Amino acid sequence: MVYIYFTGIDLGSTMTKVVIIDRDERICASVIKHTGAEHRRLANRAMEEALEQAGLSFDEVSYVIATGYGRIVVPFADRQITELTCHARGVFSSFPNVRLAIDIGGQDAKGLKINNGRLLDFTMSDKCAAGTGRYLDLLAEALGLKIDDLGSISLKSTNKVTISSTCTVFAQQEVVSRLSEGIPLEDIVAGIHDAIASRVARMVERLNLGCEVLVPEEPLLSGAIGAALLGKEITLKALAQGETIQRGERRLDKATFFE
Amino acid sequence: MAWLMGIDIGSGTSKGVITKGGGTLLAYHLLTSGINYRITAQKLRDELLAKAGLAAENIAGTVTTGHGADIIPFDNQHVADMLCCAKGINRIFTSVRTVIDVQGQSSQIIRLDEKGQVIDFAVSEMCASGSGRFLEVIANVLQLELKDIGPLSLKSENPVTFTTGCAVFGESEAISRVSEGTPKEDILAGVHKALAGKIFALADRVGLEEPCAISGGGGLNAGLIKRLEELGVQLLVPPQPQLVNALGAAIIAEEQVI
Repeated sequence: MVYIYFTGIDLGSTMTKVVIIDRDERICASVIKHTGAEHRRLANRAMEEALEQAGLSFDEVSYVIATGYGRIVVPFADRQITELTCHARGVFSSFPNVRLAIDIGGQDAKGLKINNGRLLDFTMSDKCAAGTGRYLDLLAEALGLKIDDLGSISLKSTNKVTISSTCTVFAQQEVVSRLSEGIPLEDIVAGIHDAIASRVARMVERLNLGCEVLVPEEPLLSGAIGAALLGKEITLKALAQGETIQRGERRLDKATFFE
Repeated sequence: MAWLMGIDIGSGTSKGVITKGGGTLLAYHLLTSGINYRITAQKLRDELLAKAGLAAENIAGTVTTGHGADIIPFDNQHVADMLCCAKGINRIFTSVRTVIDVQGQSSQIIRLDEKGQVIDFAVSEMCASGSGRFLEVIANVLQLELKDIGPLSLKSENPVTFTTGCAVFGESEAISRVSEGTPKEDILAGVHKALAGKIFALADRVGLEEPCAISGGGGLNAGLIKRLEELGVQLLVPPQPQLVNALGAAIIAEEQVI
């Protein structure tokens, strides 16, 4: 058997990401789908889509690593690895010199201290929606905007407002009040970004921030790419040592969140 | 005869009273605060005057309080809600030494001395999960009216445990429980329990000397009262708990006029 394709699946609280890479670490397929409340179980659909995109059968994939919030319930993974390790590896593949990575997910935010793609230390906030992607999601909704549009709107601001509520729920009411007072939308959105940025900056302070922020080409995929790369490393290492690859069952079934 | 006005612009509901000398209630009015507190305050004052059959110039003094009271468009004195709450509860229950004031956007525990003066307090205001808003968020998920959730929660025999301290994540948990088929009353009992726990954590800082009373919109919720009492406190409930702060404001207005 020729070991040439590796898959990373990152089952996040909000988005499901699948990446297939080949032996030269080229991306052969990438799929990004909403995890959604009712679609949570359908990680297999995202996997099938990625296989189709790459023109591969599942058997041709040498190793599958699942990561993210829902990694335990992916029924077709050969191994689970935490998203901390996978993100560190994924970001390292885009920026080999990176020492600190900020991962803002749908339901938490993390700061990772990295050296040569290895995780040294981390800090995370998952007790409170403020500072996570959910904050942006809910405030966009309160303002009747799509989360994808927030960034470009915010850049038009010349006079950003201060959002005084820390709590996401209170901030929703606050931004609507600001809007009714006639404050320009872009100044409110800039205030929202300022609030989340300073919250995340405080979180990673311990790890020493204060430098240029690099953004990977597709930041959503970092975890899945990292997982695929780790899969390759694990496979090649096992082969070099003459060991057999320990594969999982490979059932392309629904995830078992609720059973 | 002096007539006094107390106005409490809350994050969810605005309340107002007109009293005549001695704190006797002459008229009261409640309305939804909405997003423009200025308009709400003006409307509330007009309604109160109409109900009392008075004109604005008959009012000897107006004290305002609450979340939105700093932008009221007419002549008034702004007093912190904690002081109004203490004054109001002391008029209703003279013996009370601790008030738990559960509002739409914060909860507070206020300790009083025998004269009704504030001696200590603790406020939860950063986080929706410590306020009535948490209940509203979950009521919304379950498509229920806020007034119905307390009684419904009392039917639960198996309250759900909320694993998060955040109202936003709590909302996701509630949605997961609904999709698993958990009965509404169990989810509701769980959220009331979680809120009661948050409020009680505040009491750790200042203590809970009995007799204790509850005020604010939380005082209308039998489910919350039950969960607080399960944590080991007896609660006195005023006939109109939402009006306590507005009444206190009117009493403070009277003290300032005389």
